[in-house]
Amino acid sequence: MDQTDSYPVKLYVYDLSKGMARQMSPIMLGKQLDGIWHTAIVVHGQEYFFVREGINNCTPGDTHLGRPDSILDLGTTEVSAEIFREYLDSLAASTYGSGTYKLFEHNCNAFSNDVAQFLTGQKIPSYITDLPSEVLSTPFGQTLRPLLESMAINPGGNNITGQR
Amino acid sequence: MTRKLTPDPSCSIGGVKMADQGAADPGNNNNNKPEASEGTIIKVTVKTPKDKEEIAIAEDASVTQFKEEISRRFKAKQDQLVLIFAGKILKDGDSLSQHGIKDGLTVHLVIKTAHKAGDGGSTSASSSTSTQAGNTSTSSPGTIPPPTAGSTGPAGTTHTDAQHTDTTKMMCINRRPPIWRPSAGFGDLAGLAGLGMGSANFMELQQQMQRQLMSNPEMLSQIMENPLVQNMMSNPDLMRQMIMANPQMQQLMERNPEISHMLNNPELMRQTMELARNPAMMQEMMRNQDRALSNLESIPGGYNALRRMYTDIQEPMFSAAREQFGSNPFSALGGTSDSGVQPSRTENREPLPNPWGPPNSSNPSEGGGGTTGSTSTPGGTNPSVSNPLGINPGSLGNGMFNSPGMQSLLQQISENPQLMQNMLSAPYMRSMMQSLAQNPELASQVLMNNPLFAGNPQLQEQFRSQLPIFLQQMQNPEALSVMTNPRAMQALMQIQQGLQTLQTEAPGLMPSLMSGGVPGIPTGGVPGIPTGGVPGIPTAGGMPTENPASSPSSAGTNAAQQQLMQQMLQMFAGGGGGGGGGGSATTQTPEVRFQSQLDQLSAMGFINREANLQALIATGGDINAAIERLLGSQPS
Repeated sequence: MDQTDSYPVKLYVYDLSKGMARQMSPIMLGKQLDGIWHTAIVVHGQEYFFVREGINNCTPGDTHLGRPDSILDLGTTEVSAEIFREYLDSLAASTYGSGTYKLFEHNCNAFSNDVAQFLTGQKIPSYITDLPSEVLSTPFGQTLRPLLESMAINPGGNNITGQR
Repeated sequence: MTRKLTPDPSCSIGGVKMADQGAADPGNNNNNKPEASEGTIIKVTVKTPKDKEEIAIAEDASVTQFKEEISRRFKAKQDQLVLIFAGKILKDGDSLSQHGIKDGLTVHLVIKTAHKAGDGGSTSASSSTSTQAGNTSTSSPGTIPPPTAGSTGPAGTTHTDAQHTDTTKMMCINRRPPIWRPSAGFGDLAGLAGLGMGSANFMELQQQMQRQLMSNPEMLSQIMENPLVQNMMSNPDLMRQMIMANPQMQQLMERNPEISHMLNNPELMRQTMELARNPAMMQEMMRNQDRALSNLESIPGGYNALRRMYTDIQEPMFSAAREQFGSNPFSALGGTSDSGVQPSRTENREPLPNPWGPPNSSNPSEGGGGTTGSTSTPGGTNPSVSNPLGINPGSLGNGMFNSPGMQSLLQQISENPQLMQNMLSAPYMRSMMQSLAQNPELASQVLMNNPLFAGNPQLQEQFRSQLPIFLQQMQNPEALSVMTNPRAMQALMQIQQGLQTLQTEAPGLMPSLMSGGVPGIPTGGVPGIPTGGVPGIPTAGGMPTENPASSPSSAGTNAAQQQLMQQMLQMFAGGGGGGGGGGSATTQTPEVRFQSQLDQLSAMGFINREANLQALIATGGDINAAIERLLGSQPS
């Protein structure tokens, strides 16, 4: 008979600004942003996230960002580790390879969103995915855009394919 | 099998349950046999990591039928297909409706690679002989033993670690230095206070973060304790790479090959890194070193040896670290030094701080801790530069710079030329400036929103009018080089002081100068004057006896000063010419022309640079006459 194991899927949400955005965003941007969100998907005992160099994974909570600010439960998935691995490899070769990272349009949260949908059919909360457009809708965000895009957010971990 | 024509696909009438197989095909597929069957046709999007396709299928089809269709479309074997919907894997025996797959929904597809072929990943095939869905019979074992079913993550990903541990770590780590920058920009900053100008923020943040790191040893140790950092530091090759990457170090190594030997000695490196990790141990080492040095001193001839040691090794290190400042390794004391030895060798040509001058701003930035400590901050060292000329940065600059926020920023800049240098050399700074310059609307908006300007509409207006010029100036590389040259900045300050003094001394003079384009210097600059030292015409003491002397001199110098002012204004308004002290090709400021005379005067002991300058201007560069003038007007 077929086995249908069920693996929990969690979303780790980190505030890169450590609370600063919540305080400073009204001043700097003119609108309230509760955080600069970086997310990662945790499934099969590993944390997966997308950075400039590609898709990275590590032990959950082990990035230099420390503990996540919040952990959302996305449900469970039947996708096994192997299939997930294949899926990720495929992503890493195409849509989420190294060099495809764009801070505003194609970032870690986009990755988390896609993976979440793959695994569970659910999207991640919109306040996370809407962040880039929120920032870009302010003049300050527009101004800082080239600056921000050139910065790399690298919480650590190992690239899953070993590529650059 | 009975086949009937399909009803209109767009209307969702409840379908008749189909007896047997038969993939529905409304005919818009070019490589399929047109088969028709019962039931409504729904369009389901099938999404792979690379691709997506819309597949039309009967609503009540089974998963197997669906897979047939998919295998045709994606050119893959049915066995390789893994379909996922809402977190569930679709098994052959299920039906689509069982899983709730309806029109317009998306099903995810993973095509398992058999032998590195097909749509799937191009890296090693993962093997799965024991997973569910039962469609893995053809999968190959690959290069790694298959993980057991039900085992959680690590088993599935161990092959990564096994294959790639060290190299990926290296690669990930190699890119770690940039972390400090974004985390300075976005997070990891306790107590970030006083954000100034909007556009200067991020570099300032970085500098502040570095400063904080230096000043707050706890933070440093926290960071050190981070296992990732420790991991990185325990890798001597990596550390060497990082150190070598620093251009200052490279220069240093050129001059002193022993240093490169030191770097190449892994034992020493490891020890050094141990040191850097363990601040207590570091202190211990320093103490030992100091003790040893002092012992050396007592040996006959030892002092000379020490001195030689210092001048050969440490001074070049200092100079290398401070090269960015352009000139003077002798003017900055302390900071990076752990032995605090006075610079010697040549006499001090810099004018000593003006004791009657304005109070020095007293927050030098912390130096990078020690020579070895500098390796742990990839951003480069930050030696402190005290303010040797006693200039009050509070009275700096053009009219628009007189706001307190701007003053503090400029104060920081004058204290720390490194800041400016880093700020301007950062690649994104350039592009940001360009975008700012191209879009003055944006820039003004940004600045208006800044609380600094919010309460001061006057300032806003000034700024707005100045903005295009300002932006242009920022673009001008000469202007940039002026800003990075601390002496130039100081000279600018002096000029501003002179301007302000003129304003009080000869208010009638200023309106005529104002036509040059600089907005009227707001009275906010006036408080700068009594504290602004004694620029040229000493009246701070309010000594009546001097006034008659000063007014003829002011009248005498007026013409020359006026000329000077106009030149200044032209340069600022024109947005080019490299500012006041750069010695541009178009106009040469008197300061530049009289540079050697100024030096001579200060060597003689005339410490008031501004007075010297005025005197020189008045006498047209005649040193003797200038001295007489100075002696006549200055209290000796």
